[in-house]
Amino acid sequence: MSARAARAFATASAAERRVIAVLGVVGLLLIIGLLAGGIGPAYLLYLLGLSGMYILLAVGLNVQWGYAGLINFSVAAFFGLGAYGTAMLTASNTPLGVSLSPLVGLLVGILLAAVVAVLIAVPTLRLRADYLAIASLGLAEVIRIVIQNQRGLTNGNAGLRGLPLFYGEWPLIGGLVDRLPTVLIHEVSLGPVTLLGLRLGRSVWVGTFNLLIATALIAVVYLVVRRLHRSPWGRLLRTIRADEDLARALGKRTYRRKMEAFVLGSVIMAIAGVYYAHLNLFVTPQNLAPINTFYVWVAVILGGAGSNRGAVFGGFMIIAIREGTRFLGDLLPATITVGVDLIDTTYATVAANFAATRLLAVGLLIILVIRLRPEGLLPPEAELIWPAAQEEADG
Amino acid sequence: MTHAGPSRYDRRTVLQYAGLAGVVGLAGCTTEESGGEDADSGDSGTEETAPDVYRIGMVNSLTGSLADFGTYNERGVALALEDVNASGIGGVPLEIIVEDSESLPDAGVSAAQKLVNQDQVPLIIGAVGSGVSTSIYESVVQGTDVVQLSQNSTSASLTDYPGLLRMSPPGGPQVQVLADLIADDGVGSVAVAWVNNDFGQSQRDGFVDAWDGEVAYDSPHDQEQSSYASVVAEMANSGADAWVFLTYQEQTAAMVDDAYSNGYEAAFYGSDSAKGPSVLAGTPAGALAGMKTVEPSAAIDQANYQDFASRFESAYGEAPTSWSSFAYDCVITAALSIATADGFSGAALGGTVRDVTRSPGETVTTFAEAADVIAAGGGADAVDYDGVSGPIDFDANGDPVGSFQVFEVVDDAYVSRGTRTV
Amino acid sequence: MAVLEYLANGLVFSSIIILASIGLSLVYSIARFANFAHGDTLTVGAYGAFVGFALIGDVGPTVLGLPGGFYIAVAVGAAVAAVVAVVTQRLVYDALEIGAIGLLITSIGVAFVYRALVILGFGTGSLRYAVPAQRPIPALVPIGIRITTQEVAIVVVALVLVVGLHLLLRYTLLGRMMRATADNADLAQVTGIRTAQITRWTWVIGAGLAGVGGVFLGLYNQVEPRMGFNILLVVFAAVILGGIGSVYGAMIGGFLIGMIDQLTPLLGDLGIPIGTEYSYAIAFVIMVLVLLVRPTGIAGGDPG
Repeated sequence: MSARAARAFATASAAERRVIAVLGVVGLLLIIGLLAGGIGPAYLLYLLGLSGMYILLAVGLNVQWGYAGLINFSVAAFFGLGAYGTAMLTASNTPLGVSLSPLVGLLVGILLAAVVAVLIAVPTLRLRADYLAIASLGLAEVIRIVIQNQRGLTNGNAGLRGLPLFYGEWPLIGGLVDRLPTVLIHEVSLGPVTLLGLRLGRSVWVGTFNLLIATALIAVVYLVVRRLHRSPWGRLLRTIRADEDLARALGKRTYRRKMEAFVLGSVIMAIAGVYYAHLNLFVTPQNLAPINTFYVWVAVILGGAGSNRGAVFGGFMIIAIREGTRFLGDLLPATITVGVDLIDTTYATVAANFAATRLLAVGLLIILVIRLRPEGLLPPEAELIWPAAQEEADG
Repeated sequence: MTHAGPSRYDRRTVLQYAGLAGVVGLAGCTTEESGGEDADSGDSGTEETAPDVYRIGMVNSLTGSLADFGTYNERGVALALEDVNASGIGGVPLEIIVEDSESLPDAGVSAAQKLVNQDQVPLIIGAVGSGVSTSIYESVVQGTDVVQLSQNSTSASLTDYPGLLRMSPPGGPQVQVLADLIADDGVGSVAVAWVNNDFGQSQRDGFVDAWDGEVAYDSPHDQEQSSYASVVAEMANSGADAWVFLTYQEQTAAMVDDAYSNGYEAAFYGSDSAKGPSVLAGTPAGALAGMKTVEPSAAIDQANYQDFASRFESAYGEAPTSWSSFAYDCVITAALSIATADGFSGAALGGTVRDVTRSPGETVTTFAEAADVIAAGGGADAVDYDGVSGPIDFDANGDPVGSFQVFEVVDDAYVSRGTRTV
Repeated sequence: MAVLEYLANGLVFSSIIILASIGLSLVYSIARFANFAHGDTLTVGAYGAFVGFALIGDVGPTVLGLPGGFYIAVAVGAAVAAVVAVVTQRLVYDALEIGAIGLLITSIGVAFVYRALVILGFGTGSLRYAVPAQRPIPALVPIGIRITTQEVAIVVVALVLVVGLHLLLRYTLLGRMMRATADNADLAQVTGIRTAQITRWTWVIGAGLAGVGGVFLGLYNQVEPRMGFNILLVVFAAVILGGIGSVYGAMIGGFLIGMIDQLTPLLGDLGIPIGTEYSYAIAFVIMVLVLLVRPTGIAGGDPG
């Protein structure tokens, strides 16, 4: 492992090195923050869990966009189908009156997503890119509206609640979060600095287990997707993305392959939805709002369109942008006095209406990143080279 | 194959020893908290010392579809903080960390996560939307000791969570009173327009249950529709005698405006969310004439409400909505809870927050009054805070008591027509 | 008859959607990306007119129920939207040499910026134009059409602008150059057309029309920060339905979508249990069905 890792680092492109460096620094800061009591462990675990969800969504979207070139705007709908698929079977107030295991919920969520993906793909996959985008967005809205208004199935706006933890019924791990004791890590004073003094209770254990589930899911999905990327199937998809006419001229069944990519991506998104349902323990039709689709797209594009690692990085980025800007409010002083009235009052308005300013900040950040790094922060470079070719070159 | 870099053996060993050392070191300075699995109040804080400022949290809809309520809340909160911090809570100031829920459950949950697990507040005031409040409770608060007090959520679903307190009375009794009022006015069939979210759905369910007559029209509309013309057309063509608005001010104004410009006449009724300055401002003169609304009766005869209302008017140029009053009372209740609690933790506050609002105790109507009673040595049982929004008096489910007031629009102003109970 | 009333509503609502759709289609054809900030451009126009009308006031003769000052305010709103769009194009989109999807993502960021600035400037509440409220035209009420003269004004102005645009595109030099650039930018440049300038003009006209649409939406419904974003999806549906790149397609698409939305109550009248809460869902399904038959939209041309 070390050999490969060392070589990977040595041959890493400038972009990758920069990203690794940034991640390293951020990771270090987070650990320091954790130890110094600046960041609550449960909160950090929650953010990481949420990033995990976005990573799954971004990887799913990358299968559709990065591999097959499909501009799909129905991400939120498949996410919602996964979430509702499991929620309708496991929630305490489900109108279906059943109470099944989350694993069944996962299966049902996946099946539901696969079926609906085919239904959506049939009328839309043959459309040109832009048309596909809006058509998929429209159909996603149809799904959301149906879920919102079919109260007999989904409880409508009241949502489904009382969802169990994903691992709640599992043999050993099941009751563990309730049985694990609350651990107090005492404070350690190193001169003027006090470290630790942490209290790890139930929410930390729950957060940790959720994160483990997320990591497992991401690992499985990532490996599958990477394997596919290097397979003949993946090769074919990339040809289709680059030049569909050529692929068809070569006798390939492009429609079929695109359909497969679409369904696979949608299933991955549904898995993210199932994970989210058992993380948040509550689902509502607002989880399917189109803005969520836009956020996943931002993650994929800013992370590095077309690359799986970019998708993973993008997942972290979108959380960093959305949640990080919450803290901006604490950093900005309430007023400044520059002497120029217009600037002072404008600043006061900005600081006082922090939520609107946060929206502004998110918008500006998106624009800025695209301006500075149009191809995304971790575009596919080495990923596009076959490992066989790499090994040959190394000799 | 050769490779550059430190030898594999060294680096791996170093990492192994470092990891081992870390674990051993941590083990050395940890202890288990006995019997503590349920007793966490937002994990991982430093052990408590007497604070020089009391920090609580608030999840508010500052942006998104419910942003107007965010503004109403902010105003109520601002006035409340003035009152509390005039003397402080035992001399210690109260500070509120506000996070934006963006009117969506997801963002609301992450706002609450930050407040509970990062800022480690023992009490949060939140949220506006019923779906957001229940999301926060299910996802973040339940199972911890943190006290959650919703300022504006009225859906029936909150009653199912005894641990989730709310300042605004549940919508159920209110629509019951509304249904009775409409029936007493001799109306036979109604057209019910309800907003398509948790709040509207809950009100609609309660109303339809309580209404004995005919429901000629019963359809939801989105909160942010670009046109309500088809809703209005359907209501008009349903032949109903009265239109019932179970929706927000903006939507009510848009629909009444549309009815006016289409020349439709009907008797208008609404719940308290359909009443307010935006409705009056957004409709043509006379369009609302005779509209009756039911709202939780603010203590309008009481000095504390009148004082609150006049301060509100001079600060913001318009009369307060009930939403501002609820937010005001949330802050005062929180402050009183802190003042009478045995320490600044979720568990301690949870023990006092209900009792300060209900009997036994001396009835007080302002923070200053209550502070005097407490300073004289009283605990949570010694005060019964009756707020500007009503007597509060949390019941076993964390719901306040509501009695209701009927308003009628006369000459483009709201005139009280007395109170009603269920 | 209820149907006539629904049709009248549909006509007014369509006019607004048509204005927005044409604007979007124009930008699409020149800039070659889906501008998700288009909805918020409507919002900017509406607020621009609000400020304009507050400054100008109730001056001039009243035409179709609206004071002359209001029409000037409409122009102000259009101008503000156009300026904002051109500034954005210069600062943001111009410098980006990325594909359509990258520009789309950027426009999402731009949309956030527009919306945030509006909220910071005007707050989150809704506003109304200070024009007199009206009753429906008495002569039409007996036949079941309930429409005010202001709503007629909306339809008339939209019609005038649409005809004006048609004349511009067909018969003026600018129009010809715009069409040439939209067709094939490189070829146009080779023939000596200053494509950068033409692009700028297209943005001006597209955003201006959107601004007008925004003002009328504000007049018809109300002015609030999310008004443009809320109608964006439906405007996109209209453009796609009509066919990307075709201004005439956008008109047809806008008309159809507006009509479908306002005719949904008919289903209930006919006994079909689909309520108006499904009106957008119906519009999208119809859009997809049309695309099944005509994959490039009704009037969409060459997919190239």
